[in-house]
Order: sequence, then C-alpha cells, then structure tokens
Amino acid sequence: MRGLIGAGPEHTAHESALPALTVSIEKDLEVLVQRFLARKREDLGSARIALAAGDYETIRRIGHDLKGAGEGFGFPELSAFGAALEGAAIARNERALGEQLTAVEQFLSRLRVTFR
Amino acid sequence: MNSATLKDPEVKTASPLQPAAATPGSTLRVAVVEDDLSQAELLSHWLELAGHHCHHYDRGEGLMRALDQESFDVLVLDWNLPDISGVDVLKRIRASRQASLPILFVTARNREDDVVMALRQGADDYMVKPVRRLELIARLEAIARRGKHQNDQPEVLELDVYRVDCQTRTVTREQRPVELTAKDFDLSVLFLRNVGRLLSRGHIRESVWGPNAVVTSRTLDTHVSRIRNKLGLTPENGWRLAAVYRYGYRLEQLDTAIPRTPRNSAL
Repeated sequence: MRGLIGAGPEHTAHESALPALTVSIEKDLEVLVQRFLARKREDLGSARIALAAGDYETIRRIGHDLKGAGEGFGFPELSAFGAALEGAAIARNERALGEQLTAVEQFLSRLRVTFR
Repeated sequence: MNSATLKDPEVKTASPLQPAAATPGSTLRVAVVEDDLSQAELLSHWLELAGHHCHHYDRGEGLMRALDQESFDVLVLDWNLPDISGVDVLKRIRASRQASLPILFVTARNREDDVVMALRQGADDYMVKPVRRLELIARLEAIARRGKHQNDQPEVLELDVYRVDCQTRTVTREQRPVELTAKDFDLSVLFLRNVGRLLSRGHIRESVWGPNAVVTSRTLDTHVSRIRNKLGLTPENGWRLAAVYRYGYRLEQLDTAIPRTPRNSAL
C-alpha cells in the first residue's frame, strides 16, 4: 500500500505472532510520523540499555517524551505506554519497566501506518 | 489526529480536523521552546498550518539569547528543558524588557501544584501534553489577543490623527490620504497596531515581507524612514518612531508634542 510504514526488519518475528494494527493518518504528517517512529524505536533501544545499567532517569525521560508526543501524532497508546514507563522509572520498578518496554516493542512491531 | 478513535479493533482512523485558516493580518510570530524534536516538529507543523510563523529553540538559554535581538507575539514553553527549567525562563522573561510577552506552557507535568505555580509565576495559560491541535491554536491565539497584539485586529484602526483602513489599504492623516506603497502600508499597520512595543528587525521583516524574504537592514531602514516622513511620526507631531540599537524599532505616542528644534529634528 502506498505510504505505508511497517515495523522494520527487526520485528519480523513479532509480525508473524501478532496481528497488525493499522492506523490511518493525514498525508501531510507522513514525514513527521516516519521520523517520530524511527526516533521512538531508537529510544526503546536506549531504554533497554539504560534498564540494564540501572539508569532510571534516562528511562523516565524517554517515557516522559513518549507520553507527551504519542497522542499528538495519532498514537494514544504510545502516550499511555510513556506514562507507564515514566511512572515505573520514578518507582524504580525494574520488573514493571521490563514489561512496559516489551509492550511498547510489541505495539510498534504490530503497527502499520497508512496515509490518506 | 491527536484524538484517534478505534473504528475496528484492528483499524484506527485519526479524527479529521479542519485546518485553522489564518485571516489577513492575523499571522503570529511564535517562539517554541521544546527539547523533544518530534514534539517540536509537530507543534511547528500545526502552527504553520494555522498560518503562523514558528521559531524553534531546544534550550531555554537559546531562547533567552534570541530575545536579546528578537521579539515574538507569543511563546510556547516546555517545562522540562535540558539546561534551565521552563519556570526559570518564565521568571527571567517577566523581569526583562519583554515582560509582557504572552506565554503558553505546554508540558507533560500535570500536577495541580505545577499548573498553579506556573500561572502564579506569570504564565498566561497552561496545557498538559498530549495537546490537541485546534485547542492549542485557539489558546495560543487567545492569549496573543489578550496581549493586544496583532491577532483579530479590526479592519479600521483610528489612532490620533490617523485612520487606517485595512480593507481598502488606505491611510489618512488628518483626513488627508497618505500615498504609501504596499510594503509601506503593511509596515505602517504593523507599527500602528503595536504602539509602545519594541519590535525586532526579524519580527518586522517577517511580518511585512514574509518568513523567506531576503531583506537587508538598509532596505528596512529606508522603508521605516519613509513612513516616518510620510505619516509625520515625529516628536513635533506627538510621535516618535525610534530605532533601538542592534534590535529594531518602537513607535511611541508622546504625552505632548515636542516642538521641533535642531537637536531633535533627526528623531
């Protein structure tokens, strides 16, 4: 489909396990959404490294930014995940952080964005 | 697009939002201080769709440096910045020569005491992220309007001996028409709508010539000089269109007309 953003090759294992979640967004946001999702995937990688290092402040900041921006781009789930990440980081809850990061990764792996 | 709804468990569609069209003369010069690049890009996109000009800063100090040389109609300010907090930026602006700059806080901090603190420190409005596009634009335009800046100005402006009709693009002085070029008219309107306000050169250029125009300082000075002469914006007429060194211009209405003397004839 024209203007479709997939999850990226690193997520193919998830794709076969979970159904895709398709989001339709205005065409004028295509470039911004592509950049946003690419940055958030990078942030997830950084958050995994930070979790391994016990760097809760980095995860709190990543969660905070995700909470603030996700819904504006058309992804309210990402804002909810961001809030959960921020809260778990403030609570220094390693287990909850691991679960939330997995949830965000799964969401992004399922996500298919079309532009209209 | 910020209020996406589920039409089907697996297919979502963002809610259609009408673009907010700018009305003539309603363009705002907006500074956005936001360290999250994605968020900044989205806000800039929304502002530009609404017909406003956006200037982005990712640090509080970057904005404070810019304010030494630039003026804006409204500021969108994040709280959590990498260098100084948004509240500190707010305090410094309120203590500066740009103290009246309308400020809209846009932050993910949603605690009541945060909102109260920002408003008590002088913020004009406060929005919690994620923000909705049309609401953001409406709130921003509202605080700019309350700040008596350009937005939603009347078509006819009457001030002292001047009458400006933006519909017919004509200016009269003591009921006599003043011949002005298109740019000189726009420049006159900008100053007459912002009496007493210090406008930076960048602000003047952007408002009159547009955000992408290349206009030299000399060209700008020539236009200012021309409207000063044509409109008689001089102390002996009770007005002063003063240059502020390395910054811009301010049109002032004097309490009393100052008789022309050799010492003030250059004003």
